[in-house]
Amino acid sequence: MTTATDAPILAVENLVTAFRTGGGWHPAVRDVSFAVQRNETLAIVGESGCGKSVTALSIMGLVPPANGRVAGGHIRFAGRDLVGLDEEEMRKIRGDRISMIFQEPMTSLNPVLTIGFQIAEALHYHRDMGRGEANAAALELLDQVKIPSARQRFADYPHQFSGGMRQRVMIAMALACRPELLLADEPTTALDVTIQAQVLSLLAELKAAYGMAMIFITHNLGVVASIADRVAVMYAGEIVEIAPVNELFARPTHPYTELLLRSIPRVDRDTGGLSAITGQVPAIGAMPSGCRFAARCPLREPICTARDPLLVPLADAPDHRVRCWLRAPPSEMASEAGHA
Amino acid sequence: MGEAGVPHEFGRAFTDDNVPHPTLPRKRGRDDDCTPMSADSVVLRRGSSYAFQQLARAFNANATSWIGLIAFLVIVALAVLAPLISPYDPLDQDILARLEGPSVAHWFGTDSYGRDILSRLLWGARLSLVISTVSILAAMLIGGVIGILSGYVGGRFDMVVMQAMDVLLSFPSLIMGLMVVAMLGASMGNLMIAIALTAIAPFARIARAPTILVKERDYIEACRALGYSDLRIMTIHILPNIVAEILVMASLWLATAIRIEASLSFIGLGVRPPTATWGGMIREGFENILDSASLSIFPSLAILLVVFSLNMLGDGLRDAIDPKLRGGE
Repeated sequence: MTTATDAPILAVENLVTAFRTGGGWHPAVRDVSFAVQRNETLAIVGESGCGKSVTALSIMGLVPPANGRVAGGHIRFAGRDLVGLDEEEMRKIRGDRISMIFQEPMTSLNPVLTIGFQIAEALHYHRDMGRGEANAAALELLDQVKIPSARQRFADYPHQFSGGMRQRVMIAMALACRPELLLADEPTTALDVTIQAQVLSLLAELKAAYGMAMIFITHNLGVVASIADRVAVMYAGEIVEIAPVNELFARPTHPYTELLLRSIPRVDRDTGGLSAITGQVPAIGAMPSGCRFAARCPLREPICTARDPLLVPLADAPDHRVRCWLRAPPSEMASEAGHA
Repeated sequence: MGEAGVPHEFGRAFTDDNVPHPTLPRKRGRDDDCTPMSADSVVLRRGSSYAFQQLARAFNANATSWIGLIAFLVIVALAVLAPLISPYDPLDQDILARLEGPSVAHWFGTDSYGRDILSRLLWGARLSLVISTVSILAAMLIGGVIGILSGYVGGRFDMVVMQAMDVLLSFPSLIMGLMVVAMLGASMGNLMIAIALTAIAPFARIARAPTILVKERDYIEACRALGYSDLRIMTIHILPNIVAEILVMASLWLATAIRIEASLSFIGLGVRPPTATWGGMIREGFENILDSASLSIFPSLAILLVVFSLNMLGDGLRDAIDPKLRGGE
């Protein structure tokens, strides 16, 4: 953690990513800012459609150009702004310095190419390795992601692997070039619980071994508790709360976070039923003014629907920031909002 | 990207992945290394492409494709061996033995100049096969590139290219042949150009459709996330997924090309006489049909046999491959 206090490897500043729906451009991600240090895992949680995946695609520069675009803000990676970087430059960073693992291991591998080829290809492409050298490195990677008898499996096709094993192959592909930042978009959602745990511990292990930063996107708060250093909670395209993981679980401050945590089923508590958050996320084309959670919020006051709340640090915890008029009134900390 | 949670199936948990379990036997064949292999066999297996494995599987699943393949290979062998096995020179005239029926000396009889029909058939097969193969290879290459590019790029480019292909497609093959020959003159090369022009559009279409399907797959998105260039994605990641369909199409179009070549030769737009071509022979037979039926029957049967064998081959392949490719992985 020697570099943790230095400049963050990734700093997203006021990111706005918009999509064209029904003739107009609507922001799917609005004013999102966060930073990730080297060797740190930031979890982004939120329900479907809250902008988690769009944030990841924006960082990767993979927002589909036909109907989406990064409309504002900066994505500084190792001091360089990725927004506006041309495709050629972006391609050199993708897969080499920033990698991504996808949700669906069953369909994220090319069915007609051997897994050995697919892992070696990244090295061959980004590192100009010869085939032999790349194959040797790929074999080593298969060992590292704990594929049993990797040498025998090297020339197998994806359909000969189970879901968990395919996700390991995906991880090996993503980590082939030792990226400085790994984006994991719900990498365990499609897996069985036991396999989830294995993949999570593998990711944590490799992250530590490589000293890379990781952004872990999930809607599973149990997974967050076990892997993240910090957590950003997103709602309707905005970060509503961001805090170190222990702080967030101990003191969920935004009403949405609180309700989210309360809706986790727990074995040690007899509640007689799960509490669900009533209502729905507002549609992308019909975002309300003011706090976007106001319609579903039990604490709603007139100010909530009148003015947009700001993401401000709590009085006693500067690294715990919340976007809520009632729970984190900005007047208290207005002077300190800048440096946190 | 759907975010619905997948229900946990506890029954699957231990057998699905490589988790040793005290009581359950490990499921063999998936994550087990039940087939120990030497380093050599690893290299061997890497060498054989998946597309061709699929084709091989298709063959074994379908008896008609075997019959078609064997029949076609026999015809190819006869054509290749024509200089060695044909009993006479295809151009040797024997004016005393003209328009004879089948006999021991001339198995398939003779034509109006006394030339041996069997020998002319064998030599004609060479010409038919060379013309159709070269023209279909060219059409496959050009049409394939156009189709993959058009499907991959999509949008307005795709629209314009495909409309151009539709224009090309709207010319019947004979009209296309007439146009090319009228502009460039009748020759073997121009015949190939004419046939290739007819076949480019169908190949572009057959390459485009699966490209559009495949490019939406997650693994292509994963390729982009790995920073691969579009050219690399098209050639290394999309092409192997669709090559089987293109090859099936090629076997079917080979038959069509032979038919087109024969039709053009029949109406006198093909290779000039006295060179032996099947279409030209049918034409001669047609002129002498009342004197000697065998003159047109045998070349017609030859065309029928080739077209039939290629269609059986192609149909068999297509039937076997279709559900696999359409269903996806």
